[in-house]
Amino acid sequence: MDDPFAPPTGQAWIRVSPKLARMRRWMLVILAGVPMAAVVAILATASAVAGLVSGAVAVAVLVWGWFSIGRNFRSWGYVERADDLLVTHGAFYRSLTVVPYGRMQLVDVSAGPIERTFGLVNVKLHTAAATTDAKVCGLTPHDAGALRDRLTALGEAHAAGL
Amino acid sequence: MPPASEPPAAPVPPVVTGPEPATGAVGGGPPDETFKLHRLTPLALGGRVLGLVVAFTLFGLLEQASSGGGGPSWPTYAVYGVVAVVLVIRGVITVACTSYHLSGGELRIDSGLLQKQSKRIRLDRVQSIDVLEPFAARVFGLGEVKVTTAGSERAAVRLRYLSLPVAQALRADMLGRSTGVGIGLAEAPERILIAVPHGRLVGSVLLQMVSWRLVFLLFGPVLATAGQRRGHGVTAGIGVVVFVWFAILIAHAVWQRISGLWGFTVSDSPDGLRVTHGLLSTSRQTVPPGRVQAILIHQPFFWRPFGWVQVRMNVAGYGGVDSGKRSMLVPVSDRAFAEALVGWLLGGVDLGRIPLTRPPRRASVRAPLWWRAQLAGADERFFVAHHGLLSRTTDVVPHQRTQSLRLRSGPVQRMLGLASVHLDSTRGPVRTRAANRDAGDARTMLDIEVERWRSARRLDAGTPAPAPSAAPVAGG
Repeated sequence: MDDPFAPPTGQAWIRVSPKLARMRRWMLVILAGVPMAAVVAILATASAVAGLVSGAVAVAVLVWGWFSIGRNFRSWGYVERADDLLVTHGAFYRSLTVVPYGRMQLVDVSAGPIERTFGLVNVKLHTAAATTDAKVCGLTPHDAGALRDRLTALGEAHAAGL
Repeated sequence: MPPASEPPAAPVPPVVTGPEPATGAVGGGPPDETFKLHRLTPLALGGRVLGLVVAFTLFGLLEQASSGGGGPSWPTYAVYGVVAVVLVIRGVITVACTSYHLSGGELRIDSGLLQKQSKRIRLDRVQSIDVLEPFAARVFGLGEVKVTTAGSERAAVRLRYLSLPVAQALRADMLGRSTGVGIGLAEAPERILIAVPHGRLVGSVLLQMVSWRLVFLLFGPVLATAGQRRGHGVTAGIGVVVFVWFAILIAHAVWQRISGLWGFTVSDSPDGLRVTHGLLSTSRQTVPPGRVQAILIHQPFFWRPFGWVQVRMNVAGYGGVDSGKRSMLVPVSDRAFAEALVGWLLGGVDLGRIPLTRPPRRASVRAPLWWRAQLAGADERFFVAHHGLLSRTTDVVPHQRTQSLRLRSGPVQRMLGLASVHLDSTRGPVRTRAANRDAGDARTMLDIEVERWRSARRLDAGTPAPAPSAAPVAGG
């Protein structure tokens, strides 16, 4: 069976920057790895067995996290068509969103402090529906700016109101 | 004909509110108009709290009189007094600093004492104009005009309070400007489509709200008898308290609903769909033509023997705290009327003739019994989805009103090769989806939906608002 989340025929997903995976792996190491290492060290001083077991668990968690981040990163993608934008993401919960340009209310470009350190920007499309889930994570500022400008221009051209 | 003088219980407004000669300051005035809020606004704004303060004071005095001086002392009254004075002063400042201006197709509201604020609303973007009479305002013959634009609930502009005739004239004028009919129009004539009979409303609310909640009422007696049998007085006491507490909660919920939906009337008028309801606090909503985004027909389980259904709608900007009340279109009617109304409102949908499909059998792993009820389908203009095995819901969305489309598949669905198609609408009760389709079929459905959206949009481009021909009228 064909992949239902495949890009439209004749087109390929535009993937996001690999820096997204790098940023998330750094976050994994800092936010999960360091505290776990501390706990393992404390346990190891108490008993060698406890240290070994907790160490194994910690490594397993880190390895699993490392690969899930890779899987999730590879799931992000978007395609601009003549009348609409397609966004896909999620490896565990997969999602494909189609937003007609005429429906866009605003294009939101944002970057948190950590994302800025890695040179990443998010672009989010808002429609009049709160449930619209059209966000492209992990774009480079250049790509994000270009995408925003193209979307804004297309939105004006297709403006449909409500 | 100021309806302020109507007795509170009068449920149904006159059948035809003719184009009355415009009276008062608003009706036939010049195209540009400036107004202030009503002088009594401070009292109505602080109404509920002021009422409480007065009640507490009286209660305290009574207690003092009966117990011979043991009641609350003067500091209590001082606190009440300060609260009341602060409330009134705040209200007075609001009235003094707020003014609104109607010019052309625009409403401007200037407000603020220190920090000036000016809001402009393009009336052709208005999604709904409501005249509300909360009880505290109704006492003084005042009403609130609430102008809802697309966007969040906070985007709504509330003009409170105006004297009721002014509020109604302003509503009519703004609707005239918003639909481009004209400026300074009087109330448009209206034709009643349905007036929900009181008995049916009470019965339906009791069936819908009390039925499954009765289980909660059992907790108390069970606890009490158990406590009594074991000779455990405290448990028995708790049982009684729990029973009384749940009884009060249920009674309150039922009362809220019945009084909110009392005298529910839906009428058709040239400037939009009118929805009127309320016993103590009344509300008159007007939704201009073409503003309804999606509709659902819902049938709670216990209504099935009677064949009753409920109709609710999505209107942009209606989301928020009181969306439950505002999104109600018909609280109870028979199915034939509901379907006819939906068909008329959306411009000729025949729910029976849209081909529906069911999820594949393997969907039963994810949705054990109710997968059978998850029917969905579409024709050239509408997407229809059913769900619910005991309580049934039917969602209807015109293709060109869909905001975005989503294909989703969770881990279990992926294992089974299933996916769901969601049609995103503005915030509201209608959440349309074709759940648990075969993954390939779901993608096909999505692609077809995108195609249909495109062509529906093209068809729709010429006609801004559907002009339904003949509205259904409830028999009887």
